[in-house]
Amino acid sequence: MTLTADTFDFVATLVRQKSAIQLERGKEYLVESRLAPLARSAGAVDVDAFVRGVRGDITKHDLVVEALTTNETSWFRDINPFTVLRTTVVPDMVGKGRRELKIWSAACSSGQEAYSIAMIIADNFPGIRTQITATDLAENMLAKGRSGEYSQLEINRGLPAPMLVKHFERTGPTFRINQQIRNSVTFRKNNLLDQPPMGGPFDIVFLRNVLIYFDVATKRDVLKRVRGAMAPDGYLFLGAAETTIGVDEAWERIQVGNSSVYKPREGK
Amino acid sequence: MKALVIDDSRVMRKIVGGILVDAGFEVVEAENGQDALDRMAEHDDIGLCCIDWNMPIMTGFEFVVEVRKHAEWRDVTLMMVTTEGEQDQIVRALAAGAHEYVIKPFTPEVILDKLQFLGLVEIEETV
Amino acid sequence: MTIPDTWEPLTDLDPILTIAQDLFTTMVDGEPGHLYPWMGEEPTLDDARYTWVDVSGPVVTRVMLMAGRETGEHLTRALLAMGEDESVNDADFADAVGELANVVGGNVKSLVTNPGTLTLPVVTHEAPDMAGGTKLIETYFGWKGAPLGVALWALA
Repeated sequence: MTLTADTFDFVATLVRQKSAIQLERGKEYLVESRLAPLARSAGAVDVDAFVRGVRGDITKHDLVVEALTTNETSWFRDINPFTVLRTTVVPDMVGKGRRELKIWSAACSSGQEAYSIAMIIADNFPGIRTQITATDLAENMLAKGRSGEYSQLEINRGLPAPMLVKHFERTGPTFRINQQIRNSVTFRKNNLLDQPPMGGPFDIVFLRNVLIYFDVATKRDVLKRVRGAMAPDGYLFLGAAETTIGVDEAWERIQVGNSSVYKPREGK
Repeated sequence: MKALVIDDSRVMRKIVGGILVDAGFEVVEAENGQDALDRMAEHDDIGLCCIDWNMPIMTGFEFVVEVRKHAEWRDVTLMMVTTEGEQDQIVRALAAGAHEYVIKPFTPEVILDKLQFLGLVEIEETV
Repeated sequence: MTIPDTWEPLTDLDPILTIAQDLFTTMVDGEPGHLYPWMGEEPTLDDARYTWVDVSGPVVTRVMLMAGRETGEHLTRALLAMGEDESVNDADFADAVGELANVVGGNVKSLVTNPGTLTLPVVTHEAPDMAGGTKLIETYFGWKGAPLGVALWALA
C-alpha cells in the first residue's frame, strides 16, 4: 500500500511548519510506518483515511508531528559513540586538566542518550563532574526525561543489566534513574534553528540522527550554530549516516576505530 | 558461535532461537535447566545461553549457579530471558553469574542490543 | 477470606492494559494498535479456554486469560508463525496461550506486594474453582475482532 501524493504533501508541510524537519519525496515509507499505529487506534482503514480525518482537526496535528519527529530511543544507541567517549574523548579532556565537562545532548527525545552519557562518565571517571544539557522541541519528551522514569519495555532497549541494578530503582511498573544521575542532566526546550541553549560552552556535543532530516543549507546553518556554542577544543558526535564533509568545512573528522568524531578547525 | 536457548515453552524457544539464527548463531535448544546441562556437556562450543527462569525440573537460576561451578564453562555468556522483572531477581541473577537480563516481553532489537553490548554480534548503526 | 493489612490488592486497571498491549505489540503482532479495550457489553466466549498462573505471596494472586478456542488457535498460529490453514494441536495451544499467561503473570508479579514464586501455566476447558476468592480485575480486549479476557483474583 502506498500513500497518495496528497497525503504525503499534507504531512510533509505540517511537519516542516512545526519542526523545520524536511520530509522529502521518497520518505513515504516513514510517514506510512509512523502513522499506521495511530490510524489503527483511530479505527481508520488506512493512513490516507486517517490523514483525511486529521486535516480538519487541528487538535490532532501535534500527534502527527510527534509521530514523525520522535526518534526511537534506546540506551547506548549504537554503542560506538559511547565507546569513543569513554576511551578517547573524556581521557583527552581530563588529560588537559578538565575536572568538569559541559555536554549537550541535542534532540534528546526522552533522555536516554543524556542519561547514558551521565552513567558512563560516572562509572568510569568518578572524579569528573558532568553538566549535561538535554534539549528537544517536544515538551512531553522533556517532561518524561526530567521524570527519569521508564517503562519495562524502554528499560529493555540497550541498558546493560549491571547499570540497571546500579543506577535505577523499580517502583511498580516503572524504573526510575537515581537522583545523582538525574541531577547531572538539565532538560531545556530548544529548536536547533534558534539560539543554542544555555549551559555552554560545551566540551562535547551529541547531535545524532538529526541532520539527516534537514536540507544542506539548514544542515550548514545548524552546524555553524553548534560550533559557536562549543569550546574550541570540543568534540562533536554525529549519527553514523551523517558527516560534516561536503556540508561545512570548518570541522575536522577524526577516525577512532570504526567510528568518527568531529572537532572544530582552529581559526574557523 | 553456538547458542543454547533454554525455555520450557516451544513458542519462546522458537522466538528467541529465530532471533539468534538471524544474527548468525547456530542454535541448540533445551527445555529446562537439567536438559541444558546435558546439552552443555554434549556441545563443547556453546558460547551463549539464553535462559528462562521459571521451568520444571531445574530452574534457570539453578542452571546459572550450576554452570558457574564449572571452570570449563567460565567463558560462556549467560543471559536471562524471563518474565520475572523484580529488581531483587535481577540482582540475584547477576550475583549468581548471569551477564545480562532481558525481561519478557521483548522485541528482536532488545536481544540484539544486548548481544552487541556483550560483543557477541557486530554493531550495526541505526539511522 | 482475610487479606492481611500489609497486602495491597492490585485493582488498578492501567498497568494491566499496558502489560497486555506491550505483550501483543512486541511478541504477537510485531506492531502496536491491534489489541484494544473491548467496547460495549461483556462479551461471551465461544468454546472458552481458561489459562492461568498463580503468584504466591501473603495472598495468592491468580492471573487468568480467557479466550475462545478459535481465538486461542489464531494466537498460537501467530506465535509459532504457522500458516492460516494449519491445524493447531492441544500441546501447541497450551504452550502458546500458556506462555502469554506466563508473561502477563510475571509482569503482574513485579507489581504485587511481597511476591513469592510464579507457577507454571495451566489450561482448562472449564473455569477453575475459585470459591472464596475475590475478583480484583476482569477486563476484555478485542484482538482481530474477537474478545480476549484478563482477570486477576486474590485466592483464599
